[in-house]
Amino acid sequence: MNSLQKKAWFELFTTTVAVIISGIGVGILVHFNAKGVVGLMSFLIAGLIVGLYSHLREVRLWANLDEREKKIAFRAFVLGAYTFVLFVVIASFATLFLIGGRGRIAVYALPVISLIGIFISQFMSSAAILIRFAREQADGQ
Amino acid sequence: MASSQLSNKIRRLRFDNGQMTQQQLADKAGVTRQTIIAIESGKYTPSLLLAFHIARAFGLSVEQVFQYDSDDSPPQH
Repeated sequence: MNSLQKKAWFELFTTTVAVIISGIGVGILVHFNAKGVVGLMSFLIAGLIVGLYSHLREVRLWANLDEREKKIAFRAFVLGAYTFVLFVVIASFATLFLIGGRGRIAVYALPVISLIGIFISQFMSSAAILIRFAREQADGQ
Repeated sequence: MASSQLSNKIRRLRFDNGQMTQQQLADKAGVTRQTIIAIESGKYTPSLLLAFHIARAFGLSVEQVFQYDSDDSPPQH
């Protein structure tokens, strides 16, 4: 397993864990009907720690990739970004069509849509890398 | 639009250079073995910089390792 494959598995795992923890966090905030600065700050601090750690790890991993692996990683990132945008657009319009123009929607729906979008995006990105290398191995490389 | 393709003699050159392994060439060129395999099989077109690195690993020029096959002739100046 090369460094790019390890990166894909690691990111898939960490994103899954982060989304589950964030989902629990949203659930707690919804349950207690929390408002204001406390909930926002807790999410910002947690996001900052995860983001900083991921960024530092990404920089170190990126330095070890060769040009072909960087291209594969970049294409996977673009696929993930497109998937995120597509998912958010579809989820937003599906909500409109399902609930109606004058319907009401719970405020936690938006962060939930974002979290699911992040997970699907990362899943697609990691899957693209892993499938690419699996196909190469199947071709005898 | 003219079709073009970059072919190479890496496999032959490896054997001509004391049965150099793909890993040895990869180490010299600063890439992974999988990248060398992809280039050898024509599935990946290397950057100009990497093409130079590979050519230098054999002590040859880029043109001696990589060949540009095109349907059209080069533009006349």
